[in-house]
Amino acid sequence: MSSSDSNSSSVDDHNPNPKPLDYQFETLNLEQGSGSTIIQNDVDEEGRQQDQGSSLNGSLNVNSNNHEQDDGIGLVRGVVLRRTNSEVEVDVNGPSSPSSSGYAGERGSSGVSEDDEIEEVANDSALHEVFDSQAAWLPGKRHVDEDDASISWRKRKKHFFILSHSGKPIYSRYGDEHKLAGFSATLQAIISFVENGGDRVKLVRAGKHQVVFLVKGPIYLVCISCTEQPYESLRGELELIYGQMILILTKSVNRCFEKNPKFDMTPLLGGTDVVFSSLIHSFSWNPATFLHAYTCLPLAYGTRQAAGAILHDVADSGVLFAILMCKHKVVSLVGAQKASLHPDDMLLLSNFIMSSESFRTSESFSPICLPRYNPMAFLYAYVRYLDVDTYLMLLTTSSDAFYHLKDCRIRIEMVLLKSNVLSEVQRSMLDGGMHVEDLPADPLSRPRSASPHFGEHQEPTDSPRRFREPFAGIGGPAGLWHFIYRSIYLEQYISSEFSAPINSPQQQKRLYRAYQKLYTSMHDKGNGAHKTQFRRDENYVLLCWVTPDFELYATFDPLADKGLAIKTCNRVCQWVKDVENEIFLLGASPFSW
Amino acid sequence: MGCSSSLPDRSTGRLGGLNNSESGGVADAKNLRVKLVLLGDSGVGKSCIVLRFVRGQFDPTSKVTIGASFLSQTIALQDSTTIKFEIWDTAGQERYAALAPLYYRGAAVAVIVYDITSPETFNKAQYWVKELQKHGSPDIVMALVGNKADLHEKREVPTQDGIEYAEKNGMFFIETSAKTADNINQLFEEIAKRLPRPSST
Repeated sequence: MSSSDSNSSSVDDHNPNPKPLDYQFETLNLEQGSGSTIIQNDVDEEGRQQDQGSSLNGSLNVNSNNHEQDDGIGLVRGVVLRRTNSEVEVDVNGPSSPSSSGYAGERGSSGVSEDDEIEEVANDSALHEVFDSQAAWLPGKRHVDEDDASISWRKRKKHFFILSHSGKPIYSRYGDEHKLAGFSATLQAIISFVENGGDRVKLVRAGKHQVVFLVKGPIYLVCISCTEQPYESLRGELELIYGQMILILTKSVNRCFEKNPKFDMTPLLGGTDVVFSSLIHSFSWNPATFLHAYTCLPLAYGTRQAAGAILHDVADSGVLFAILMCKHKVVSLVGAQKASLHPDDMLLLSNFIMSSESFRTSESFSPICLPRYNPMAFLYAYVRYLDVDTYLMLLTTSSDAFYHLKDCRIRIEMVLLKSNVLSEVQRSMLDGGMHVEDLPADPLSRPRSASPHFGEHQEPTDSPRRFREPFAGIGGPAGLWHFIYRSIYLEQYISSEFSAPINSPQQQKRLYRAYQKLYTSMHDKGNGAHKTQFRRDENYVLLCWVTPDFELYATFDPLADKGLAIKTCNRVCQWVKDVENEIFLLGASPFSW
Repeated sequence: MGCSSSLPDRSTGRLGGLNNSESGGVADAKNLRVKLVLLGDSGVGKSCIVLRFVRGQFDPTSKVTIGASFLSQTIALQDSTTIKFEIWDTAGQERYAALAPLYYRGAAVAVIVYDITSPETFNKAQYWVKELQKHGSPDIVMALVGNKADLHEKREVPTQDGIEYAEKNGMFFIETSAKTADNINQLFEEIAKRLPRPSST
């Protein structure tokens, strides 16, 4: 099967497995009601479902409220310790017993709206409506004056901590690490209490708060959140924070703790607050953080080929990875023979580069570690911004390759300028990627070439990009508001541009959270993975479709017609397939192991 | 240094390397190329000195250097020789300390910077001087720079201390302000005068 077939979704595909979505839903008998959440499972999964009352054609779970189980569990008073194998889940609940460490459970506390998705203190929300957008987000740590005695600190919706196994604070999202030494020691005590029993604490629920623990040798990571995100996604975020730390220091930092268990790691991370705060910020706007895939800047096929060709030239001359990126999107990337780059490493690397202002001022040569490639060793990164958003990274194992890499960059930059790649990149940034309003009409009724393509010079008058159907309302056809398509084979995703009505960063963040939940439930190993899911609540209709080749996450108007929504998803898949040359990096990828 | 074990071992690694092999530091008698490295604690203003010298700019917002930045600037002397400084502006963070040999090995000039308002950074500067005396090139030209001279009301390291320490160690001493540009060009001109010239004359 050729690579271009691997993303296909249509009936005439070589792979009989992913049928059009309609077929999968036709076999299901559904109850729908506004305000109810319907989780639909594919027929194939029926046998694996255990705790369901329904025995219809398809398995069907109907929850009468939109909240996850938190509330139900929260009714249990006191402390419940659950141990399954080596997993421990602790439920702490009690409105009148804020913990002595100062982290109050918040349940029943008055005056603060806990349901607000905005992470800051609720009465700041109006202010942040204006300022807390992706563009306006200011890097760096805020609220350093706070500590665990501050009311504002306790009300933050999502805390992240890194501490050492002796309880020394290493990083805190909010507040000054040194002032949080006592709090840090409390977290350490909880972890070691459970470890002394030969067990491992993973999650503590306290009212609406979840406390998620991740132990990585001598490094402990903790998240305290009341965002209703699933455990798995919070844990995934802790994994990324750990990876970011490894990228800066390598895993051999563990040796410092072997020599001296009370080793203070904070000086080693000096000046990197901004790297961590930028990563944590990206949890709310960058789907790469939970999809474990990267995204490309849409470009005409030839343009990306030209960039790839020159990167390939330098990769042959002792460069391990040559990566050209524009913000968080890949223009092109080439790895030396047999070297492959994990999407999480790319996320952490680009976050590191973009959040460190010094890379913008001049060319740099810095040690970095790619945690998924080799967590024990440093690579050396030559980094140079070619324009305000576009930067070139040349990674090598050789510490004395600077002048060679500098020469490589000069050659690359000349070729990119001559072949207009850099101007095409800037144009693509301005134009944006896929807009739901541009979704072509029924693909079967039109020739393939009619799909809107990217990165081609188009006169605004003739060859209009938009094939809008007569459609009253906002968003795309059938009330399509947004979609993300993730190609499993390519480890890449494409996300449609946000448009009305999902305009504000808050709405976008809420949608990403919903996608995150969907992603988690689709990859839940315990219940057996679902293949399709249709959820309707007061905010949207979410439709998810997972095949061996791709995953599609689509958002519709909450009143969207289900049949039409399903048809629209098939059209989205066809559209993606039609333009895959432009939105994905295909061909000689470093991912062909 | 706290955690050198987290970084490549300097005794085994071949960290010799950031020399431009073709130049070896010297192009010809009239046009010199010089590798210069800036060392010093984080936040003393190394990058600000370089950016003031190379671009004539000063940015008060602090931008932490990662690894090391490379910049170059050519100056002309009165005897019509030109000197191209190839400048390694290193990160002052502790985690990069063990990597410093990568940047200072083979350097003809080391500029060691401290902040006149912070005795700690003056101590750190002395650490770097000792380090270079042990591991740097034997004929390296060293300059000791007390930066942030504009903050004289907050001064905590007396000028005399700097002068004495520099004299004892055969260094050239100057106080600068990257913010006001005071003595920045003088620093590099003085360095240029002290460079050993190729003995072609």
